[in-house]
Amino acid sequence: MAMSCNDYRLTRRRMLAATGASMLGMSVQQLLAAQGSSHAATAEHVILFWNGGGMTHLDTWDPKPGRPTQGEFEPIETSAKGVQISEIFPQLAKQMHHCAVVRSIAGTQGAHGQATYNLQTSYRQTANIRHPGFGSVVVHERDRMGDLPGYISISGRAPRAHYLGQKCEAYFVANPGDRDPYLAFPEAIGQVRGNKRLDVLARFNRRFNAGSGDKKLASNQTAVKEAVKLMRSPALKAFELDKVPTTTINRYGDTAFGRGALLAKRLVETGVRFVQINRGGFDTHSNNFPAMQNHGDVMDPALASLIEDLSETGMLKKTMVIMLSEFGRTPRINPNAGRDHWPNVFSGFMAGGGIKGGTVIGSSDKDGMEPDKRPVPVSDLHASFCHALGIDPNREVQTPLGRPMKLVDNGKPVPELFG
Amino acid sequence: MMLRFLPAVLLCSVLLAPATAADPLGKVLDLENQANGVSRKALPPVDDLTYLRRVTIDLIGRIPTAEEIQQYESLSPSTRQQKTVERLLADERFADRWTIFFADMLRLRSNAEGGGASIAFIHRALRDGMGWDEMSRRMIAASGKAGATPELGYILGDNADPMALAGSTAQVFLGVRVACAQCHDHPFDVWKRKDFYGLAAYFGKTRRVQSQFTNTVYTTEAEQTTVLWPPEGVEDGAERKPMVPVFPFELDKADRPSRPIARLRALRRKQAQLAAAKTKSNRKGDAGLEALLAAAGSKAERRSSGKNADDLGVANEAKRDAKNLKIAQARYRASKLRADLAAMVTNPRNRLFAQSFVNRVWGELMGRGFVEPVDNFSQENRASHPRTMDFLADEFIAGGFELKGLVRTIVNSTPYRRQHVIGVEDPVRIELETAFLSTPMRRMMGEVLYDSVVTAGHLFDIKHEKGKNLKVVWSRSRIAKRPAEGSGTAVKPQLLADATARKAMKKPRMKKGKGTGSPYDVEQAIELDFDALLAESKNDGVKIERMQVMSKEEIEAMRMQQQAANNRPDVEYFDRFIRSVFDDNPRFSTSMRMASPAAPEHFLRIFGQPSRATLDEKRDHTPSMRQALMLLNGRLTHEASRVGELEPIHKLLAGETPRIEAAIRLAYREILTRNPTTTEIAEAQEIISGGGSPLNGMADLRWVILNSNEFRFLP
Repeated sequence: MAMSCNDYRLTRRRMLAATGASMLGMSVQQLLAAQGSSHAATAEHVILFWNGGGMTHLDTWDPKPGRPTQGEFEPIETSAKGVQISEIFPQLAKQMHHCAVVRSIAGTQGAHGQATYNLQTSYRQTANIRHPGFGSVVVHERDRMGDLPGYISISGRAPRAHYLGQKCEAYFVANPGDRDPYLAFPEAIGQVRGNKRLDVLARFNRRFNAGSGDKKLASNQTAVKEAVKLMRSPALKAFELDKVPTTTINRYGDTAFGRGALLAKRLVETGVRFVQINRGGFDTHSNNFPAMQNHGDVMDPALASLIEDLSETGMLKKTMVIMLSEFGRTPRINPNAGRDHWPNVFSGFMAGGGIKGGTVIGSSDKDGMEPDKRPVPVSDLHASFCHALGIDPNREVQTPLGRPMKLVDNGKPVPELFG
Repeated sequence: MMLRFLPAVLLCSVLLAPATAADPLGKVLDLENQANGVSRKALPPVDDLTYLRRVTIDLIGRIPTAEEIQQYESLSPSTRQQKTVERLLADERFADRWTIFFADMLRLRSNAEGGGASIAFIHRALRDGMGWDEMSRRMIAASGKAGATPELGYILGDNADPMALAGSTAQVFLGVRVACAQCHDHPFDVWKRKDFYGLAAYFGKTRRVQSQFTNTVYTTEAEQTTVLWPPEGVEDGAERKPMVPVFPFELDKADRPSRPIARLRALRRKQAQLAAAKTKSNRKGDAGLEALLAAAGSKAERRSSGKNADDLGVANEAKRDAKNLKIAQARYRASKLRADLAAMVTNPRNRLFAQSFVNRVWGELMGRGFVEPVDNFSQENRASHPRTMDFLADEFIAGGFELKGLVRTIVNSTPYRRQHVIGVEDPVRIELETAFLSTPMRRMMGEVLYDSVVTAGHLFDIKHEKGKNLKVVWSRSRIAKRPAEGSGTAVKPQLLADATARKAMKKPRMKKGKGTGSPYDVEQAIELDFDALLAESKNDGVKIERMQVMSKEEIEAMRMQQQAANNRPDVEYFDRFIRSVFDDNPRFSTSMRMASPAAPEHFLRIFGQPSRATLDEKRDHTPSMRQALMLLNGRLTHEASRVGELEPIHKLLAGETPRIEAAIRLAYREILTRNPTTTEIAEAQEIISGGGSPLNGMADLRWVILNSNEFRFLP
């Protein structure tokens, strides 16, 4: 489950190898590219914003001013010198010195299902096996901190853990701010009565388990103990958004997305390793521009406040914020004023956790049709995230059939992303 | 081979013993254990009530009710167990529970193309006692349209991809894992890459087609195969030729000593005679399995051959345009290759077919297969008890590959009745359990746990009197308002009346309402109508063909018409909060018939229901914190614990002089299928007296028992 000592030694050895090699004239970065992960973690937590449907890259991170593919939005200057993003993100523009944009993700999948699978797992979908999502990989490799589950998915479904097992599944939070009924006794059962019930239950089970001596019974009890520990944990306060000042809620934008971002911040502060916030509605085959203006209005205050708050408390240093979508959209604007699926090149956004601020990696060509400089395959993105988290992307785990699978599908970290 | 030490005469006499002799299965196993040099003594059989609980859970997927216990006890002790097995085999729920077993194995998903209909097909086949060979033949050879041909879910489940189907056909129907050989010779088995390609070639001409107009999905057979040899990238420049289908598994040359094949033939002859007599006497007949499948299943095939169209109720459509027939003929072509493959897979001389199935069922009922994992038959992974497995396989073949017969043999046997071993170290336990001298602790699977809580808590029916559980709910509703002529202002959303209403709004809504999401949705089970799934709209079947003869312009016009119907005139919407009072008397449906797999966060998935996506995914029987939270704090356990006025136990607890002890006895019987000990009664009395009122105290006791390990594990 957790990273074992062996893995740690491996990491150390690689580190030494890297040092030695650099003395022999190879740069550490060259070696990183050649070897996969190799240094201590710069990131402890991840907040992943998943924008389902395929978010247009041209109207967000990769504007094309003056080209016929530009569309209705103008680019704006940001706090990162020479980096322009779409005008739908005015507040975020002031935080871009913390952030990096990859403008040359070279996707291969043009259908939602396959592309989502690819972006969320780094693997291509095949019939014989299902791969775990990135969040499951992270909690498989990194220890849990504190009482809360290591992996929490907000407003929708994160991918499943598959061969990494039940313990690496996400804990779902349907609507940020809503009370999760499973974390407290049922409404009609008060604390005193509930606790009394738990005591009697523990007594019943102790007696039954002792009578049998089968270890399977004990593991059931561990699960109950963990559950009770969570129910009683002060860490649950992180979920209680109703105690957050209204000014803060408003600063994130009083939307489900804003509350999700705020909750994500509170969760990582409490020790949660991986938070995924899901949002749909990016499949803008028609009326792309009003739809994206709307998305901007919702996402901009949330993202900007999140980055600002995390950097103020120093949490941004060890928290990697990522925003991804399954593909971009066609540079050509269709007769319904929409854009269609476009996997050939699109963009991703990231910040914190060792990511070098104010960076742009790669570029698309002048119309945003194909990667121009430094195409980044999807698995290289995953390998980069792993690199920041101190996870070796090439480490192999065994599936239940005994088939060895790498954590990431043969990716190489992108060294330019890191300082 | 260990068994050569076994006296040949003794072995033969056992194997040839008629099935009516008491427990031949147990005898074969005992002899084989002896031959294997197992010296430990078997555990004695469980007591009568424990057997009732175990066999009821295994056969119909829930715990027995208090009435069933009473009825059981009223039977003569010498015959009550066997009679109960017969009652359970005939129960409607037998098909419900075992459909899950098949759906897991075949990876059938309700939401996949044709998946729902395939699950319904399995259910109907089990109810009507169709043999596993016949079920398999239909599934492997199926052609037609998703939904209309219910058996098609298996082929479509892997998108009719020959490579995926080769892997799953070997693993599912024969328990052999050849999927590795798709890309390389098997690392530690005999399978060569060429074997895999030979098997895949049977599926090479099958194509999955999606109509671009109607989105319906169907299969067809192409002239060319997509399976070519040598595989890509093996030899540079080598010409890749169509692979010739080769069945890579050996068939037995002769019948076995217990003559299962001869007995199967005799049985088939008898069945044919009976069927002929039945058709004569009952020309019309009720809509049994055959009739339904004839109507739904082979509709496409018959239509394409043009025969019997009038009997099938598709005559009108068929006559409407003779053109359709020709199109359909070309469209859903039956696959000769797959029919050949199906015949070989299900051939009674193909030992693996029967062996792998009896191994799976044995594993399901005994907690461990002869071969483990159950779908990994290999030179390197031999069966622990090959003789016993062969005995079961022979009986299974001779019995017409019928699941019920196989289950009957197992649950009536001594090994199935044995107790768990208690208070020993793990190595001893494992030794005993591997030799089937004791039975392992088994967790109830998610569906069984759910239905058992519902049964214990009397939640299949309303258990509270009308008006006793009134609740006020505020719900947000979108109200449409057409702008009045001339006035442009819309009505503003009505705000909440007062603070109390606001508070009520925040509380979890327990109503099992339509549409509105409740935080407890993940504990709901909405039943599917299997009959409706099988009898899927007949008109739909020819839609593709009709589409085919329309011009592009006509199709566009039709689409626009449909779209226009969806468009509303300019209507403004606003939110209104609506107060409603409802009687919160929950009723729960069986989880066995709900769409499966359930949503990822649903109770069933949390309790291990697989996603049925890949071959290597198994039902997860490990506990988790999420499971614990769901049972401790969930609605299902809460409602099951509460005592309803319409429950039998209520009479014992309410009134001037409550009969607490009788109520405790009833609670133990209802939830744990046993009588409480004296100590337990005293303890329960204390719990109840601490609960404030007898009703609340009983709720506390029931909550504890429902959450306890004793409830969760099969006795």
